[in-house]
Amino acid sequence: MATVFSPYAWLVPAFPFVAFAVLTAFGRSLSRTGAWLATAGTFLSLVLSLVIAIERMTGAAEDYRGGYEWLRIGDFSLPFGFEVTNLAALMLVVVTLVAFLVNLYSLGYMKGDDRISVFFAYVSLFTFSMLGLVLADNLLLLYIFWELVGVCSFLLVGFWYQKPEAKAAAKKAFIVTRIGDIGLLIAILLLFWYMPDHALDFVSLHNVFDPQNGGTISLGITTLIALLIFLGAAGKSGQFPLHVWLPDAMEGPTPISALIHAATMVAAGVFLVVRTFDVFEASQAAMDTVAIIGAFTAIFAATIGLAQNDIKRVLAYSTVSQLGYMMLALGVGSVPGAMFHLFTHAFFKALLFLGAGSVIHAVHTQDIREMGGLGRRMKITAWTFGIGALSLSGIPPLAGFWSKDAILAAALADRPWLFVVGAIAAFFTALYMSRLFFLVFFGKPRGEHGAQAKESPGVMTFPLLVLAALAVVAGFANTPWNGWLGQWLTGNAEADHASALAIVVSVAVGLLGFYIGWLVYVKGAVRRDVLSSRLPGVVRLLERKYYIDELYAWLFVRPLRALGDALTAFDTHVVDGAVRLVGAAANGIGKLNTRLQNGQLQTYGLAGLLALVVLVVAIAGRRFW
Amino acid sequence: MLNFNIDFTGEFFAFFLLSVCAIVGAVLAINFAKVVHMALSLAFTFVSLAGLFILLQAEFVAFVQVLLYVGAVTILMIFGIMMTKHQDEEKARSRPLLETLAAIGCLCLFGILFYAIRAASFPLPAAKLPDNNTLEIGKLLYSAYAIPFELVSVLLTVAFIGAVALAKREEEKP
Amino acid sequence: MLASYLTLAAVLFCIGFYGVLTKRNAIIVLLSIELMLNAVNLNLVAFSKYGVNPALTGQIFSLFTMTVAAAEAAVGIAVLIVLYRSKATVNADEFDELRR
Repeated sequence: MATVFSPYAWLVPAFPFVAFAVLTAFGRSLSRTGAWLATAGTFLSLVLSLVIAIERMTGAAEDYRGGYEWLRIGDFSLPFGFEVTNLAALMLVVVTLVAFLVNLYSLGYMKGDDRISVFFAYVSLFTFSMLGLVLADNLLLLYIFWELVGVCSFLLVGFWYQKPEAKAAAKKAFIVTRIGDIGLLIAILLLFWYMPDHALDFVSLHNVFDPQNGGTISLGITTLIALLIFLGAAGKSGQFPLHVWLPDAMEGPTPISALIHAATMVAAGVFLVVRTFDVFEASQAAMDTVAIIGAFTAIFAATIGLAQNDIKRVLAYSTVSQLGYMMLALGVGSVPGAMFHLFTHAFFKALLFLGAGSVIHAVHTQDIREMGGLGRRMKITAWTFGIGALSLSGIPPLAGFWSKDAILAAALADRPWLFVVGAIAAFFTALYMSRLFFLVFFGKPRGEHGAQAKESPGVMTFPLLVLAALAVVAGFANTPWNGWLGQWLTGNAEADHASALAIVVSVAVGLLGFYIGWLVYVKGAVRRDVLSSRLPGVVRLLERKYYIDELYAWLFVRPLRALGDALTAFDTHVVDGAVRLVGAAANGIGKLNTRLQNGQLQTYGLAGLLALVVLVVAIAGRRFW
Repeated sequence: MLNFNIDFTGEFFAFFLLSVCAIVGAVLAINFAKVVHMALSLAFTFVSLAGLFILLQAEFVAFVQVLLYVGAVTILMIFGIMMTKHQDEEKARSRPLLETLAAIGCLCLFGILFYAIRAASFPLPAAKLPDNNTLEIGKLLYSAYAIPFELVSVLLTVAFIGAVALAKREEEKP
Repeated sequence: MLASYLTLAAVLFCIGFYGVLTKRNAIIVLLSIELMLNAVNLNLVAFSKYGVNPALTGQIFSLFTMTVAAAEAAVGIAVLIVLYRSKATVNADEFDELRR
């Protein structure tokens, strides 16, 4: 059925872009109204996205593709257009909803900052780029928006650029994601080389790599392309070993952490893999790589999260871990599982970050050891944070349970050892979330501001409430007995993935994690430092993030810096030296010539004689050479 | 190139003697310390050249050479030397670079000229010069070359007047 | 035979040229110029006797050359004397007004 509103999908990114343009041009004079303008822009996008999505849900809608030809080189034509599939519609809703709520929240959180209109301009630019990425109909256009999203992340992480940590974190984020982006670029180049007609749009990709037409491109090249695309996705989505930028990116303002580094940009990696999933499905080796790296990241990041003391760092490692889950789902072939988890994760992770922001706004510290007892004073924040924590830990009937269960069931069906890894990671997830929740909201106030903490203003608590509601109900979109979301996304009727074992195990580990956390941090039945006193080495290892940053510094940063120094020395001495040499030579020749012009006749006569001799020898002597 | 076919006649012997005198005179002229000695040794060269002219059956030219060069020019130079400061001779301030380069340049010039001379092939002379040299020169001067002759006399007059005008001392204005 | 005379003339010419370029006393420079002109005269006369068409033209030419050389020497000395009066030196190094 042809859709009425899908052709207008290009307006969805247009509204934030207009907001960005206006704010950049007039921001200095607008300030307060500029912020409301940006929020209004995202609200309009949200309304339109909802309309498009709802229309597509009622009845089988066909994909809409619009646009025009942008580049024509010989017989290669590159379109500039957008494609509205059900997947894109879902992502539009997620992105615009979270963006709108974050905009609203930022009105309260960033109040009083004198660069507030710059902030909202950047946020609008980011929203525009993310929406463009979602709607892009070919890989090259997607890459352009991909890079733009990275730039916005850089700008926003380094928003408080007076802090050196923020500058360093912004650079780190950009550089590490760049490493991934190069993989994606090479993959695009390879596809350009090998695809018939050099086509780069997703429809052609689907046609070429579809199993029925298989064999057009050799398996080796397909695997290479898939792995390179995954490298790009791993960079943006913080998979091991390119995860190092995400925790540092917490230097940015908390609304940004919620928007970019929880709900949307980091999901772009998952989105990319889903978009090019036909390439991955054609290569079993690529799928295995994705699954294994995803599973490893999930458990690896969860263990680090256990030992962190900064509230945002814990959530950051949690994000990395959950993205690992999504990649695991993709690796075992379950696109609905991954997208469903992306959908629910966006809500509860954004909720957790915004709640953390509310806490930070109240107590002016980010160290959880200085917090405590905030549950009594900040009721809304505490309740919503609790819902988010339970959802993340996979406690039924909240949203996180359904999506995590979908992934674990798929893993169990494919490779049981991946299921075990996922279950252990779920246990750790519950453990660190309960630790976080109990340390922040229970007990006696430990820090200096704890006693005077008050609840945040309405603009900040309203998004918390909305997201909490979504964290509860969003899960019912795809239960094991009614796989509606999966079917709507992929167009295939999903088999019943209900596995009693998976459900039981995931619930059990979630509850166990929470119970142990309660025992340790509330009741005090088990001493808090039971592990740190017995195994201090292990705890320190986790706290220092397995020393990966130090390893990278030693392995890459120091040699590169040494190379940079060597090249600078080369530039100063050799290149500049050569230039200065030329200058000195000209100077010297000039000085030499001055001696020739001394006004004495005999000098001039000598010059004439020598010139004559040279001339005669040169011309008449030509017979010899 | 370097094989000279020379027949050792009396003429050649005389030529050799005279040319040695000329060259020695010239070299010494360059190398003497006192300026007056330089002028005198150059006069010696002029005389040897006159001898060479006689050997070349140019008797009139030889006499004119002696008259003009040895007589007039050399004396003129000596007058010039006497009227200007000649007591402080070549000072210690030498110009090695200039002298070296000049020597090299002149050697190269000589090399070029020598090569040109050797490379050219000169056919044997077709005729012989007339015997009565002065008479023949006189005849030519007043017939074929009369105009240059007159021009040269004008030139001499002009030079003479010019030299006097130049060197005249400025009269003291009362 | 001609070649010998020409070679001798070349030698004298080069010696004279060396003197022109090197000597410090301006009078000696003039003298060296006279030497060069003499070498040319020798060339002319040698060609007049041993050249392709022996004729008296060479000798007549050499007479004119000699005259001109004498005139030039006279004027040169006059100039030098005037210069000596104003600069009190005949050192060729010190005549460097051409520099400005």
